[in-house]
Amino acid sequence: MSADLQWMILRNNSSLLVKRKAVRSFSREPNNLKGLNSFRFNGLVHRKTVAVEPKTDGKGVVLVLRNSKSTRKPSKNYTRIELKRDARKTLSTIRKVIGEGNYRRDLKMAAVRRASAIIRSQKPVVVKKTRGKKKE
Amino acid sequence: MACRPLVSVYSEKGEATGTSVKMPAVFQAPIRPDIVGSVHMDMMKNGRQPYAVSAKAGHQTSAESWGTGRAVARIPRVSGGGTNRSGQGAFGNMCRHGRMFAPTKTWRRWHRRINVNQRRYAICSAIAATGIPALVMAKGHCIEEVPEIPLVLTDKVQTLTKTKEAVGVLRKLKLWREIEKVKSTRRFRAGKGKMRNRRRIQRRGPVVIYNQDNGICRAFRNIPGVTLINVDRLNLLKIAPGGHVGRLCIWTESAFKKLDSIYGTWKKASEQKTDYNLPMPKMTNCDLSRLLRSDEIQKALRPPKKQVTRRVLKRNPLKNLSVLAKLNPYAVVEKKLAKLVEKQQKKKRQELQDAKRGLATVDAAASGGKSRPRKPVTKGPPAKEKKEKKEKKEKK
Repeated sequence: MSADLQWMILRNNSSLLVKRKAVRSFSREPNNLKGLNSFRFNGLVHRKTVAVEPKTDGKGVVLVLRNSKSTRKPSKNYTRIELKRDARKTLSTIRKVIGEGNYRRDLKMAAVRRASAIIRSQKPVVVKKTRGKKKE
Repeated sequence: MACRPLVSVYSEKGEATGTSVKMPAVFQAPIRPDIVGSVHMDMMKNGRQPYAVSAKAGHQTSAESWGTGRAVARIPRVSGGGTNRSGQGAFGNMCRHGRMFAPTKTWRRWHRRINVNQRRYAICSAIAATGIPALVMAKGHCIEEVPEIPLVLTDKVQTLTKTKEAVGVLRKLKLWREIEKVKSTRRFRAGKGKMRNRRRIQRRGPVVIYNQDNGICRAFRNIPGVTLINVDRLNLLKIAPGGHVGRLCIWTESAFKKLDSIYGTWKKASEQKTDYNLPMPKMTNCDLSRLLRSDEIQKALRPPKKQVTRRVLKRNPLKNLSVLAKLNPYAVVEKKLAKLVEKQQKKKRQELQDAKRGLATVDAAASGGKSRPRKPVTKGPPAKEKKEKKEKKEKK
C-alpha cells in the first residue's frame, strides 16, 4: 500500500501521535527526524527513511537507513551506520550518504541538524566562569 | 490490482522454513478505516444487555395535587397523614423520590443490523491492514524485531499443547516484548465497572488465527493479551479492536491459505460465501508520487517556474534619483543642466556683487571649490592676528 494511503490512515489516528496545546502535532515513532507529525517526516510510512540517534555509549551518532526492499520484514528493515569519529566527519558522512547517495535528499538538512544537536549534547558541559564585578 | 508477493512461513523456532505462500488477495483489499469504525461500533452494540429503570418507579403513590389557594406549589402531593412522607411532592422528575425524566425502557433499540456486504467490507479492510507494518506499529504493537509481516507459522503450531511451548514460540519470534507490554498495562478500570465484574483491564496483544485446533487454543489462551480465532469465524471485534485497524496477527499456514477461498480473489469469487468477491478499490494506483511522475501527467504539465519573484520595495522617484532615472532617463540630463545653470548664475551674481564692493573675484575652481575666501585687495591686520594666535598656542 502506498505511502500516501498509509499516511491518510495514520495522520490523525495513531498510538504514536502526540497532540497537545502546541500549534503543531508531534509523533513519537522511532524514525522521525524532527518528531513532527507530517507526511515528509513520518518514519513508518515511507519506503526510505532516515534517522539519527545517539549511540548507546554516549559517544557518537548512529545513522539509521531503511532498506526499501524489506519493508515487510521489520527485523531486517534498517541498516545502522555508526559514526564515531569527530563531528565534522560525521556530518559530512551524513551529507554524502543522503545527498550524493540520493537517499531522501529532502531530509538532508534535518538529519545534519539533528546529528549536530546530538553531538553537541554529548560534549561535556563547560561551566562559564562568571566575572567578578569591576570595582569603580 | 497490486501484485501479490510471497510470504515466507516460519517454524515455531522462529526460523524461516523454505516454503512461502502467495499472499491472499484480501491483503490488497482497500483499507477503509471509516467503514471499519462504523461497523465495529454497530457490532459492539449487539452484545449489550438491556438496562432500564423499574416501570413503577416513582408512581407507587396515590399522590394528588392540592390545587391552588393553599400557598404551596401545585405539584401532586402524597395523601394521607401520620408520616413524614405525607404532603411531600411526588411523581415529577424534580421531586425527591419522584420518577425520572423519560424513564429508560427495555425496548430501546439495543442491537443494530449491519448490511452483510458492509460487514464483509469491514473485515476485508481490517485483514488488509494487519499486513501493513506501519499500521500495526501505529496501533502500538512492538514489532521491530519480528521477522515478517504478515507473520505465518507452520501448522505444527496448531498441535502445541503446553503454554510453555507457546511462550517459547513467541519468544523466538521476538514477540515477547509485546506480551510484556500487555503485562505492564494491567491496571484497574476507572469507574463503576470495577464493581460490575469488569475490575481489571489490560492492552490487547497479538491475535493467533488458526485453522484447526489441535491444542493451540489451550497452549496460547493463558498468555496475557493473546486472542485466538479460527479462520472460518473471523471477528471484526477481535481483528480491529476499538474500531482501529492494524492489530498484530499471527497466522498458521493453513489458515493463511484458506483466506483466498473464504474471501475470494478478484479473479475468482469466494467459495465459502455465496456470490461474494472482494471489494473494488476506488483507485487502482494510490501512490501519489508515482502518479505525478507518470507519463500521462508529465505530458500535460508546463515546465516548472524556478524563478522566484520577490516583493520589490517601492522607492520614491521624487526622492531617489536612480529610480527617477529609470522612469525618466531625461531627468538626469535635466538635473545636470539645472546644476550647470545654477553655477553660472551664481558666478554672475558674485561678479556683480564684487564689482559693487570693489573686490577681486576669486574663481571658485581655482580655490578648490571654496567660495568663501574672498580676499580683500589690501593685506593687513588679519595676518598679524594669525601670528599672535599661533604664539599663544605654542606658549600653552
